[in-house]
Amino acid sequence: MAPTVVDGKVLIGTNGGEYGIRGFVRAYDAKTGKLIWNFDTIPDNSVGTWATKDATGNDLHRDIAAEKAALAAGGDPFKTLGGGVWQNPAVDLETRRIYFVVGNPSPDLYGAVRPGDNLYTDSLVSLDLDTGKYVCHLQYIPHDVWDLDAVSPVVITTVLGRDGKPTKGLLHAGKTGFVYVHDAKDCSLIRYSEAMVPQENMYTLPTKDGARMLPGANGGVEWSPMAVNPYLGLAYAINLHQPMTYQVATESRVAGKLWLGGAFKVIPTEEQWGNVTAVDYNTGKIRWQVRTAQPMIGGILATAGGLVFTGEGNGLFKAYDSESGAMLWSFQAGAGVNAPPSSYSVEGKQYIVVGAGGNAQLDYKRGNSIIAFTLD
Amino acid sequence: MRRRSGALGAGLVAIVIGAVSAASADPVEDKAALCGACHGQRGVPVSKDIPIIWGQQEGYLYLQLRDFKSGARSNEIMSRMVAGLERDDMLALAAFFAAKPWPDTGQPAASEADARAAKTTSASIGCPACHSDRFQGDGTVPRVAGQNEAYLAKTLADFRTGARANNPGMAAFVRATSEADLVALENYLAGL
Repeated sequence: MAPTVVDGKVLIGTNGGEYGIRGFVRAYDAKTGKLIWNFDTIPDNSVGTWATKDATGNDLHRDIAAEKAALAAGGDPFKTLGGGVWQNPAVDLETRRIYFVVGNPSPDLYGAVRPGDNLYTDSLVSLDLDTGKYVCHLQYIPHDVWDLDAVSPVVITTVLGRDGKPTKGLLHAGKTGFVYVHDAKDCSLIRYSEAMVPQENMYTLPTKDGARMLPGANGGVEWSPMAVNPYLGLAYAINLHQPMTYQVATESRVAGKLWLGGAFKVIPTEEQWGNVTAVDYNTGKIRWQVRTAQPMIGGILATAGGLVFTGEGNGLFKAYDSESGAMLWSFQAGAGVNAPPSSYSVEGKQYIVVGAGGNAQLDYKRGNSIIAFTLD
Repeated sequence: MRRRSGALGAGLVAIVIGAVSAASADPVEDKAALCGACHGQRGVPVSKDIPIIWGQQEGYLYLQLRDFKSGARSNEIMSRMVAGLERDDMLALAAFFAAKPWPDTGQPAASEADARAAKTTSASIGCPACHSDRFQGDGTVPRVAGQNEAYLAKTLADFRTGARANNPGMAAFVRATSEADLVALENYLAGL
């Protein structure tokens, strides 16, 4: 994750969920560089509650007896369990808490060597900004064997709570294709959205020859941050529909090397596409959805003026009406627009800026441009 | 077969040690000259099953030298070559070769059918996610575009059998791909 500099601290996190590391988030003193605190994203006891369902109640098809036997034989796998943190935390200076999501367990697909819920992988986690002490967490997928982890950054906004009253909430877009809505106080799940992409055969276990399950391992929603229009109560997410098979293989860890425990393969004969989706986070309903020609990766921007901007792998950068989803404008950038747009003002004039660098994960045409537009 | 290639390598090494006995001022260049016995004094390896290392990614070259020394990657000749190298030597050699231009070996472009099959395979297992744009590699991930075809074939076969054991992730992707698709991929990459 890129550093977050806030209130005299530099926050960093590590990737490495594909390499058998033990993930962490750390705070350093911005002036001296001295370590202030360290939080291991994998606790010494990573076993959890032997949960058999995901956060939305879907059966995970775990063999708990086999996992317990593996735990008794090999012990807690916490030292090599992964748990990278891909994206920046959301910071709440009012409560002095940070919120971030933790990525997949290592190895991704081969769960037999890592018995237990694999805490805090695939989880929303909250810490105290000043001490790094644990506040709360919610695990989306205990003992994930599909790499359907939590990677898109958390958004803090006011949502309707379980009692129907406005409360401080957290939004996260999962690789599962759901937008999860949490209570910021205790991380608990208030609701989750309708699925933004097709979900099929969830959670069929990976096999030696490959089991088809949707979404594919890129999601749903990948690292792409969401945007929010608080006046409309809408969260905007970009989606991938990329059918894959999940294969499991017995693999030993080699320090510092890619360790997936199998492979995820795009099914070449199946159609792929993307979506731009507006989700009403107070009801979980999809308000509007626009299909794109390719799976979407990058980011999205919502302006107070009622516009939504996002780019595609084919180089098109588009503006939509934030309330209706009607496409209003597009620009061909010549390379994949796979980055979150941003907006700023100079002398009263509003600009929209975005990078057109392409994308390695989906192999979209590389470029080297940052392009700014005015809203005349 | 393995023993024969080992004997050939040892002979070449002996010749080169003689050739560089008049040491140059730069100790890295001295060591690099030894490498050139097999990997080519001008970057074109003396045999098609030996990898091109001129212009290869620096991080990748260092990690392979390290792994040959630790035994994580196994090769009779290379294990002997790196036995006396320290970390700084390996880092210097990696930087030295990474700074050289990638040689043109004149390998032919793949047939249309092979190119099509290779692109499908690459998109399916996601090669560019690590090997980057046009298979040029990045950091600790090697360039594979234009690599010697016989070396690519041997490497993928070794990943498949487990003879090459220093990257379980690569082994998994190779094992998840049919041998026919791997052949097409080798032809395609070599011809880039």
